[in-house]
Amino acid sequence: MSEALSAPLAGRGAPAVPHPGPPMIGMAGVTKTFKRRDGGTHLALDTIDLDVAPGEFVSILGPSGCGKSTLLYIVGGFVAPSGGKVTVSGDPVTGPGPDRGPVFQEFALFPWKTVLGNVAYGLREGGLSRRDAEARAGELIERVGLKGYERFYPQALSGGMKQRVAIARTLAYGPKILLMDEPFGALDAHTRIKLQNQLLELWERDRKTVLFVTHAVDEAVFLSDRVAVMSRQPGRIKEVVAIDLPRPRHRDELLLDRRYQRHVIDLERMIEDPPDLAS
Amino acid sequence: MSRAASRTGAALRPGLPPFLACLALLLAWQIAARFLAVGGVPDALSTFRELPAIIGDREALGEIAASLRRMGAGFGLALLFSVPLGLLMGRSRLVSALVNPLLMVGYPVPKAALMPLIMLWLGVGDAAKILVIVLGVSLPIIYHSRQGARAVEEKLLWSAAAMGMSGPARLARIVLPAALPEILVGCRTGIVLALITMITSEMIARQTGAGNILFNALDMAQYETVYAMILVVSALGIALDVLFERLRSGLTGWAEPIPSPAIAPA
Repeated sequence: MSEALSAPLAGRGAPAVPHPGPPMIGMAGVTKTFKRRDGGTHLALDTIDLDVAPGEFVSILGPSGCGKSTLLYIVGGFVAPSGGKVTVSGDPVTGPGPDRGPVFQEFALFPWKTVLGNVAYGLREGGLSRRDAEARAGELIERVGLKGYERFYPQALSGGMKQRVAIARTLAYGPKILLMDEPFGALDAHTRIKLQNQLLELWERDRKTVLFVTHAVDEAVFLSDRVAVMSRQPGRIKEVVAIDLPRPRHRDELLLDRRYQRHVIDLERMIEDPPDLAS
Repeated sequence: MSRAASRTGAALRPGLPPFLACLALLLAWQIAARFLAVGGVPDALSTFRELPAIIGDREALGEIAASLRRMGAGFGLALLFSVPLGLLMGRSRLVSALVNPLLMVGYPVPKAALMPLIMLWLGVGDAAKILVIVLGVSLPIIYHSRQGARAVEEKLLWSAAAMGMSGPARLARIVLPAALPEILVGCRTGIVLALITMITSEMIARQTGAGNILFNALDMAQYETVYAMILVVSALGIALDVLFERLRSGLTGWAEPIPSPAIAPA
């Protein structure tokens, strides 16, 4: 597939730079309704329009229950939209596929497989021989800093280690898009920062297209080129904010950067719920 | 608390408590048989004296082996269809809705009560006995397979689907291994039920087998043989269970809780 899809560095951070050809991810009028128990319907997502350019890092930021994960699952092809359409490189999404690699908050590692077996799984699925798959998996395990843990079962690992295995497992089969569903939401603050740094390092190397769901404002600003802010009931995109911070980004510099602070404050105000809905 | 537990654990050898419990049971049996002197209840000692006669008897051993063969065949056949059916039920609402009513009806029926009917169709030979064992074993395996399949995390399946794995392949390669610990719980119940149905089937269709020896001896008022046979069957049950536990921890060691360091000697 198109491994050479690294976007040019210029123009990074600008909102949806006009790009020749179709967007990497195109969401047009996506809606999702759920049946309620009382027979009524609940509008979870209301006409979502959002394009993601190749090599762009876009976060979807919103309070819990705004439907941001559902939107990610629709892009992944795991959940069908009730209306509208999603395209990947111009082709309509009809189901899951190896061009879009998910990383879930719950890690979703195969517990009966070792670290090596998990990371090699998608490669074996793609038809690689055991030897080649394990060699490539070994490299990725080293890249996420888990060398020496190849023979461990997931159960023996900490949350942060599990998520690093999950990221390696998804990177292994070479998806051109990463779909990350609050990947660091279940981790403690320290581990979270470590993994954010590691993700940025990995991303700055291959510049994959990333759609990243989070409810943490600082995380969204730190990582993203653009942040789409969602509101809930119904889930709508309120605003898309371009994060005009230079890369490579370093946490300690950013924390002192006025522009970073401004973005955090603005976004925090934006995701605040109207008082009647606050829980 | 864990420290106190490990202290008492260190004082006792691991095999000692069960050994003491067995000894106490045998002692109680011996005393009760002696003092109550109910007809047809031999004491523990004379029962144990009868054991070599059974274990040394080629014919008796052959019969027990035949019983175990039927039990293995019945258990294996049940496994072959119960696990896929249970997994399908766990993942598909349609299959579950179709099959569940049948299982609900079949559940309370004592499977051995069907033996006379089955004998009408299949005769008194191995086929009838194996079928009864299949019926006796399959329900818990289906039930636990279904529970296991239901509990599989959706996102495991999504992760596999994103790798390009098809639906049927996910059932065999994701749902099956993920549900294996629960399936094996059903199998363990199944083994005990197989042993019970095996004996019962041989009681009804008396021809061969461990159950046949037992009930023939009962007819001839050879109570020592009856009790010795019960001991043999129980020992078989315990041995099978231990073997199965070994197999289980080998297959699903990845799901075992990690041994806490508190258990290790300081």
